[in-house]
Amino acid sequence: MAHQAHSYHMVDPSPWPIFGAAAALLTTSGLTMWFHYNTPYLLIMGLISTALVMLQWWRDIVRESTFQGHHTPTVQKGLRYGMVLFITSEAFFFLGFFWAFFHSSLAPTPELGGQWPPVGITPLNPMDVPLLNTAILLASGVTVTWAHHSIMEANRKQAIQALALTVLLGFYFTALQAMEYYEAPFSIADGVYGSTFFVATGFHGLHVIIGSTFLLVCLLRLIKYHFTPKHHFGFEAAAWYWHFVDVVWLFLYMTIYWWGS
Amino acid sequence: QGLKPLVPTESPAPIFGTSKPPSEAEAFLGKNKVPDLQKVFQRSDGLPVHLKRGVPDRLLYRTTMALTIGGTIYCLVALYIASQPKNK
Repeated sequence: MAHQAHSYHMVDPSPWPIFGAAAALLTTSGLTMWFHYNTPYLLIMGLISTALVMLQWWRDIVRESTFQGHHTPTVQKGLRYGMVLFITSEAFFFLGFFWAFFHSSLAPTPELGGQWPPVGITPLNPMDVPLLNTAILLASGVTVTWAHHSIMEANRKQAIQALALTVLLGFYFTALQAMEYYEAPFSIADGVYGSTFFVATGFHGLHVIIGSTFLLVCLLRLIKYHFTPKHHFGFEAAAWYWHFVDVVWLFLYMTIYWWGS
Repeated sequence: QGLKPLVPTESPAPIFGTSKPPSEAEAFLGKNKVPDLQKVFQRSDGLPVHLKRGVPDRLLYRTTMALTIGGTIYCLVALYIASQPKNK
């Protein structure tokens, strides 16, 4: 039987990339059909197939690493580079929305009454739920670091407790933010204030949900003994992503919620 | 013969340290099944990793394929219909 003479991972042929591309086609064209022809079927097929592809692709990565041992230090280095590049691209994504916010708020037009917040907008009190949300995310940053140290010290019970607490804090943030959205005295249709507020905080909220899901998967893997004190990159990637989500919120809080009120 | 002691001389049953330490089968929140799974996924059966577990993998794979390929055909049909000019 031939063995490879290098430390890279030559993956088995996989259908997920092409199915993923097809799922993206169905989701985007499904959005079009829903918007213009009021039929949601294509969109639903797109969302379900996207979810199925993500599930199976990531399941296969766990199989290749934890069960088949393909993630050598060389492979892990590549994954680290990949995650860093991905998070950097996300940072640029948010930069765009912050740019839009400052474009409109630094020099408010006469249509807005020459002021920020515009005439007629009652902004949310930054010392109310938004401050609680800030505390929640900062605390979750502490708990995820606690979980990391517990994993490295082979302390199973504490690692599970700390990571579970992190996930709960993440869901608590989402629940509070959903309530804030429902109770807000302004909507996305309320001029450029509404647009910048809900698009920026909305995409952030989506990233909180993604990050919480990633951490939840890590929690399940932690309980199933997938991580070792020396090798737990999936968890580290989730923790990096979570810290990124936290930092974006801090910027959102300081600029849109506080300075912008 | 001798006087029967009023107080029993054997030491009383121990109170501390009597619970047995968690054995391998009772570890916190389930036991480690990773070595068994490693055996399953390292079988030389020529199967690619996405089908390695047999029936459940095949089911999910076929469902995903049906949705994506069927959906792509539906998408092309819908786009063809949508591109027809509206007759006034």
